[in-house]
Amino acid sequence: MYHRLFAACLLLVSACLAWIAWGYHAPFSYEPVGPRAYPLLLLGLLAAGALLIVCKPTLERGADEKTLPAPAVLGKVGLCLLLLLAMAALFELLGFIVTSSLFALAMCRLFGGRWLHGAILAVVLGIGLYLLFDRILDVPLPLGVLAGLEF
Amino acid sequence: MDTLSYLSQGFGVALSPNNLITALSGTLIGTVVGLLPGLGPINGVALLIPVAFALGLPPETALILLASVYLGCEYGGRISSILLNIPGEASAVMTTLDGYPLARQGKGGIALSISAWSSFIGGLIATLGVVAFAPLLAQWAVSFGPAEYFMLMVFAIVCLAGMAGNKPVKTAVAVVIGLLLSCIGIDANSGVYRFTFGSLGLADGIQFVVLVLGLFSVSEILMLLERTHHGQAAAKASGRMLFNFKEGASVFATNIRSGLTGFIFGILPGAGATLASAVSYMSEKRLAGPKGNFGNGDLRGLAAPETANSASACGSMVPMLTLGIPGSGTTAVMLGALTLYNITPGPLLFQNQPDIVWGLIASLFVANVILIIMNVPMIKVFTRILAVPNWALVPAIAIITSIGVYAVHATTFDLFLMVAIGVFGYVLRKLDFPLSALLLGFILGGMMESNLRRALSISNGDLAILWSSPITLALWALVALMVALPFWRGYRARKARQVLADAANA
Repeated sequence: MYHRLFAACLLLVSACLAWIAWGYHAPFSYEPVGPRAYPLLLLGLLAAGALLIVCKPTLERGADEKTLPAPAVLGKVGLCLLLLLAMAALFELLGFIVTSSLFALAMCRLFGGRWLHGAILAVVLGIGLYLLFDRILDVPLPLGVLAGLEF
Repeated sequence: MDTLSYLSQGFGVALSPNNLITALSGTLIGTVVGLLPGLGPINGVALLIPVAFALGLPPETALILLASVYLGCEYGGRISSILLNIPGEASAVMTTLDGYPLARQGKGGIALSISAWSSFIGGLIATLGVVAFAPLLAQWAVSFGPAEYFMLMVFAIVCLAGMAGNKPVKTAVAVVIGLLLSCIGIDANSGVYRFTFGSLGLADGIQFVVLVLGLFSVSEILMLLERTHHGQAAAKASGRMLFNFKEGASVFATNIRSGLTGFIFGILPGAGATLASAVSYMSEKRLAGPKGNFGNGDLRGLAAPETANSASACGSMVPMLTLGIPGSGTTAVMLGALTLYNITPGPLLFQNQPDIVWGLIASLFVANVILIIMNVPMIKVFTRILAVPNWALVPAIAIITSIGVYAVHATTFDLFLMVAIGVFGYVLRKLDFPLSALLLGFILGGMMESNLRRALSISNGDLAILWSSPITLALWALVALMVALPFWRGYRARKARQVLADAANA
């Protein structure tokens, strides 16, 4: 069921992309194949594969028919995604240390840790990883709101 | 003997103090990464690429770091398979079959050391194979033109799907998705923006570190949400830590056989460690006959997949170094790292940069030796790491992954992209699409297109160039064979079922 649904989505997406790709052409070109042929070829292959799954979803079963994960798990997955997105959004705004501390605390709670555990983890990861990567490994990380402190 | 002098030059590179320390820390990091759930060799290697870059490591040192992390991960995966019965990745499943029973019998230390020894032998056999075959293949591959390369990549992809066992269609779809993802960004030949949807962040394509970490790390974090475990109590690695001579001798023949099998499977693109370990386990089981104690803690059952595993890991370096075509997910990542350094792997690499190639090959030896020495004193520490609960582990993995992604371009766009790719990877995983196939497609995609277009430029658009030389014709034959393989397998399975049904009716 879900295989079929997914394959149908793939089919739809490949049709849309093919429509977009149809418009690609080089204003002037030194070679016989333009920028259009290869993506179109691939989209054709993808559509063929997706069609096969739509028509015969029982052709190959991995771990048999999958059911949706339990609602509680799906909720957690959604929450985890929100956290990841929030981290992405705040990464430069608040800076690495603040963002990752908050993120660590929330993730720790999500994975069943206690508040105290989370607090310790937040401090250790936020500051420890900043020192490790920014200072020792030379990977520059944004300081954000803490930029004034510059330690 | 040119090869020997090159090899000694390689050891000169690998044994220089800097590179030795790199190999040591690489194996250590790798082992820890391999131990932890949610991190495997693919993300381990991908995470270190930005770090290697930021530290300004010279290319050969960076490659040595990545290779030793790779081998270390394989080793760490072993520890969790044997002591916890949790295979870190598909290729370690066979290890659990006999490794875990051994640990339950209180022979955990022996099992670990014999698996380290086995993978050392496997690595040794395969490295010797690399030394023997890679230069030959490289010499031969110099005569490859773009048409031949294109066909070779088609073969690699078809091979991947044909060897995938029970899901050729899904593997093929995953590869094509990967190939399509590689089209995103500016087309190098014409300057046309493809599939960027007006986004500046996508203009130079999806960075492969972002793809790898999204696909593997983020999706794994989401998968971990389903399992609520609070650290695992591992079977104790007590008693003797090292196998004795008798035990070592009893598995030696197995080691040799499985090492050869593993090497051959490693060279084949796409087949890789999973298949190699399964095949060698099965054939050893058959060889041992009823006298074997397979499944209940037979040392040979542990030695066979472990030897094959690491032999194929080293073997997969052959197509990567000589042809620039990766044979496994991890070598695909290493290939990506090489291209970041503006090094094009391929036959010319052997002529132009012998230091890199032979340094890497020699460091495979060195890393294997370090791993077996490290096993004895460090195993207690490693088992302690296994007890880290998820609530501490997952936030750390997530943050480190984000650092790795951010380090590539220093834009938050990549972080959003990573999350999006992670969701996509999660869905694909849920539906049993193989992610490593997607990754391989992504890595091969760009090269495939440019070779195809170059070939057609040479022939002025005549497609016949794709089947006009003996090499391309031979590759077509191989492609046909590989396409036929799943059909033949399906036919045989149907027939076997028919026979069973007939027997039941009669």
